[in-house]
Amino acid sequence: MNMLMLLLRNLARGPSTDAFPFGDTFTPERLRGRIRFDPELCTGCRMCAHVCAGDAIHFDETDEGLRFTLWHNTCTFCGLCEHYCQTKAIHLTDDWHLAHLQQDKYAMIEQGVVAPAACAECGGRMTAPVPALTAMAYRASNRRIEHLQTLCPDCRRKAGVKGGRS
Amino acid sequence: MSFIARISQRSPWLYRINAGSCNGCDVELATTACIPRYDVERLGCQYCGSPKHADIVLITGPLTLRVKDKVLRLYEEIPDPKVTVAVGICPISGGVFRNSYAVAGAIDRYLPVDVNVPGCPPRPQAIIEGIAKAIDVWRERL
Repeated sequence: MNMLMLLLRNLARGPSTDAFPFGDTFTPERLRGRIRFDPELCTGCRMCAHVCAGDAIHFDETDEGLRFTLWHNTCTFCGLCEHYCQTKAIHLTDDWHLAHLQQDKYAMIEQGVVAPAACAECGGRMTAPVPALTAMAYRASNRRIEHLQTLCPDCRRKAGVKGGRS
Repeated sequence: MSFIARISQRSPWLYRINAGSCNGCDVELATTACIPRYDVERLGCQYCGSPKHADIVLITGPLTLRVKDKVLRLYEEIPDPKVTVAVGICPISGGVFRNSYAVAGAIDRYLPVDVNVPGCPPRPQAIIEGIAKAIDVWRERL
């Protein structure tokens, strides 16, 4: 009798086969898929490249600024980059539609250029700290901290030695 | 188009080569084939045991030096036209095993690849998507 009930229930439920690729499919909420990089939030610490298991993340200096490149074809989608990114510049989306033809192999990248800032003191090129980073480092911001953020590491060191009288 | 070419369009047979894979992608391949939820046979595909019957080759693993010659010999046995699908990041680029002394590296250095399915491992739906792309390539080739 139990078996008959089970059969009837299964008949009423219909097929359990996922409709994909002819229809929609489900995507788990926390699925780790295609990676998105936000250059506005990146502070150029390169921790993501350091922890990357598949060596998928590379940084290089270009004329436009610090360029972040991630190749999805060697990324294990482990999520370490997102975990270690203090400013949340890297995010693993739930987009898993990554299958591609061979001619697109080297186009499967995520790229972004972190725009350089000019040092307020010497005018040299630097990667500016982002607000999220200072919010973590200091309990509250003040004028001195805001001033230090506009300086390049060398000028910041000099300003530190002078004890804030710069 | 001949009768055989017309009917074989609808039923490409799959063949799986493990080129030194960790078995992660192989488990996902087994899942796409054997579990009713993903059922790759809806696309007309079927896994076959002999390379001589294969139309679409699914390769997993980073092509270790130990299996390299065997994989290439096996690949030669598959009749043309054939479509090659690299499943997982290892056959595509070497993945986390890249630059290892025991790994020959990206499989497209040794044989022509048509479709790549990145992931570590890719989820069954992504593999089905890749196989669907491979079937499109295969129809053009027939």
